[in-house]
Amino acid sequence: MQKNILDRKRDKMTADAQLIEHMMNPKNYGTMENADASGMGKNPTNGEKVAIHLKVEKQDDPRITDIAFQAIGCTTTIVAGSIVTSEARDIHFSRAEELVSTTLGMLENQSPEDAACTEMVALALKAALDTYTEKQKDPDFSMFSYHISTDCTPKEEENNETTV
Amino acid sequence: MKQLFKEVHEAWLATQFTGFMSQTQSRQELYEFSNILFKHLTWLENDFIKNNTTYNYDIPQVPIRMTHISHMINNIIERLSSIESQLNSCKDKHISFRMASDLNYIKAALIKLPEEEVEECFKAEKNYPNIELSEEARDALTIFLFEESYKEYELIMVYNYSKANSDNAFLNRIFQILIDESFFHLRSFGQMMAEMGILGVPRSLMEEIYKFDNLEQFLKDGIQEEIGAKEECRKLADAVSSSSEHFAAFFAFINNQENYHIALMEEALEHIKHK
Repeated sequence: MQKNILDRKRDKMTADAQLIEHMMNPKNYGTMENADASGMGKNPTNGEKVAIHLKVEKQDDPRITDIAFQAIGCTTTIVAGSIVTSEARDIHFSRAEELVSTTLGMLENQSPEDAACTEMVALALKAALDTYTEKQKDPDFSMFSYHISTDCTPKEEENNETTV
Repeated sequence: MKQLFKEVHEAWLATQFTGFMSQTQSRQELYEFSNILFKHLTWLENDFIKNNTTYNYDIPQVPIRMTHISHMINNIIERLSSIESQLNSCKDKHISFRMASDLNYIKAALIKLPEEEVEECFKAEKNYPNIELSEEARDALTIFLFEESYKEYELIMVYNYSKANSDNAFLNRIFQILIDESFFHLRSFGQMMAEMGILGVPRSLMEEIYKFDNLEQFLKDGIQEEIGAKEECRKLADAVSSSSEHFAAFFAFINNQENYHIALMEEALEHIKHK
């Protein structure tokens, strides 16, 4: 069901009740004080970006207990952020990695504009997960920030926010 | 005082968006009260700046979905009472006295507003009263209204931040005009969203949107965005023209207003270059 919504092309976006609901009341939108990790997905061509913040319960397979996102982007990005963060709430990292992969795997069925928005959200989640893992080794680590790319491969960013 | 600032910001939006729901004369009254609350926001902001206190425009989502306007009115009154209880956190007693006086009057006036059913503002039916729109036109209009209502809110806050943090009278005149223009657009779009059953308060702004380093670049980008907005208005006017002459004329009007915004930003840009 969620996949169907994300697959809609923007110019033909049928604004059904569920989609409108995400536009009127984006879920999990906002900042998060004392986040355990944050990550960023960016579109380097137009400056749009998505930040995802996580609260995490420490376990062998850590669990996302709270999640928030913010975006500089269009309505499609907000809808994608609302859906993906709702899916990611209360799941373990292994499941969250699957969610990222599944979301990135859907991009080829979308219009370029929608794909860019969805990819930005998925990469922000990936960056937040990776940041948490990195912070377990280096508590002073800031955060990962990934650029969207047509082949969905995270590229290393030039500034000091990024690795991989 | 940061909590006070946040709550005034939320109360301003709650009051403004309740105004969009009303179909009676209450709308104008709610608009006036929202203007006063916005003014309070600017007073507190100026106090932050005077005292070199860092601040931001972060707020949580403001919920407004109700069945009756009295529910929102009660919600606003509760918000105003909470603000009153925190006025001591503002050290400038002139500000807190003026705010207390305004809030006292507003609360008393709000209680008297007549009841209205407002459920239709949130039904997501996307029908505009007395205007038959094709599905394509309705979808285009829906997306446009979500995008642009956020954009107008963003512009109000960006120009407000720029104005508050600048002592350049020439630029501040331009910023104030742009704030006023964005209020007009936000109100136009907000009323349309309420009519179509898709009303929602815009999301909060990321700090870097209004705390930018380079005003010249911001204005250049802003001009490009206005040109983009003009194109969106033109496309929308085309999409709805076969369904509604009224809408086609409205979007042509908005499109032409963007020319004025571009001229103002170009004026500001020239001023910066020759400063």
